[in-house]
Amino acid sequence: MARDLAIDLGTANTLVYMKGRGIVLNEPSVIALNRQTGEVLATGREAWQMIGRTPGYIVAVRPLRGGAITDFEITERMIRLLLQRVGVSRFTRPKVVICVPSAITEVERRAVTDAARRAGAADANLIEQPMAAAIGADLPIDEPVGNMVIDIGGGTSETAVISLGGIVALEAVRVGSFDIDAAIQNYVRREHGIAIGERTAEEIKVAIGSADPTHDENQAEVRGRDLMTGLPKTVILTPEEVRSAIEDVVSSIVSSVIRCLSKAPPELSQDFLVRGMYLVGGGGLLRGLAERIERETEVPVRMSNVPLEAVVLGAGHVIEHYEALKGMFMGARR
Amino acid sequence: MTVAVVVAVVVIVAVAVAVGLVLRTRTSSDGVDSFRRQIDALSPEARRPTVDQVKNVERPGDDEPEDQ
Repeated sequence: MARDLAIDLGTANTLVYMKGRGIVLNEPSVIALNRQTGEVLATGREAWQMIGRTPGYIVAVRPLRGGAITDFEITERMIRLLLQRVGVSRFTRPKVVICVPSAITEVERRAVTDAARRAGAADANLIEQPMAAAIGADLPIDEPVGNMVIDIGGGTSETAVISLGGIVALEAVRVGSFDIDAAIQNYVRREHGIAIGERTAEEIKVAIGSADPTHDENQAEVRGRDLMTGLPKTVILTPEEVRSAIEDVVSSIVSSVIRCLSKAPPELSQDFLVRGMYLVGGGGLLRGLAERIERETEVPVRMSNVPLEAVVLGAGHVIEHYEALKGMFMGARR
Repeated sequence: MTVAVVVAVVVIVAVAVAVGLVLRTRTSSDGVDSFRRQIDALSPEARRPTVDQVKNVERPGDDEPEDQ
């Protein structure tokens, strides 16, 4: 008998929660393929280490962008391999709950559920990421009070107001921490004339990236390929430069939070001043982002204790109480 | 004969009305029950065992991506 699963199919990482066991898999959403034969060479962490470092016949790709499946076939293969790693076979077909961005289209919804069913799931249902995040972040969403959660992922940023187990207001933008990495890559190319890979851009973001000035600011040495000479080159990057490079992305995220606040009913709005907003998702770990949102909204921002796992934990809770909570699935009659 | 037909029709209508009322009552109470079950399942006490499981999660190292 298969144990039912909850999957946080993120643009950056895929997490799997197994009923009764907890989180059993946490791997980058990356797959490495032989370009000539189409054979899968690696998935997850092993494939992630290959990004930008592969010979011509190997391609390491992220099959999801902006929270949506960009390559259905590769996503299906990746999900199948990940499910196999947690014990799913053709004889053990579990029920699966998958977290997806709330703004995905009907076509994208079908693509995700079809991919999961073909990969071995007996039944696949979807739940909105901000709802799952609020459950996993342990917010009191069972009460008639305003709970606000900001989920900043790799490809999407979603802000939701939740009360009495339902979404009251929602705002989503297809912008996330990968866009921050891309903005850094573009800046370094434009201003310093060197090309860097996406992993290096991510390392710069983690090392010196910030959305607001912070107390401990250091410069970083960045190594890449000189676009003029083609030779390896090192340049110095300052935190101010990175802030200006990522300003557009950060502004877009903050604006979506403000739009969501403006959609909330007044009775719930007043709750935010006391209870604050909760930040989850890896993108929320960007230094100074909580302070920036707090400064621009004048609402306290708190970091979840489990920013990276909140979404899958919330979906895992739904799997644990499947019958009671199946009304929360996307498309379920409420 | 006519009386028997009239009685039969009345009985059928009465039974249909009674069944309709029972189903209607059951549907509305089902809605209350399922909402109650959902809210109970979302309570902090119900969520505690799930949320606590994260204590066993191994945190990713510095060389791994942090975004989600």
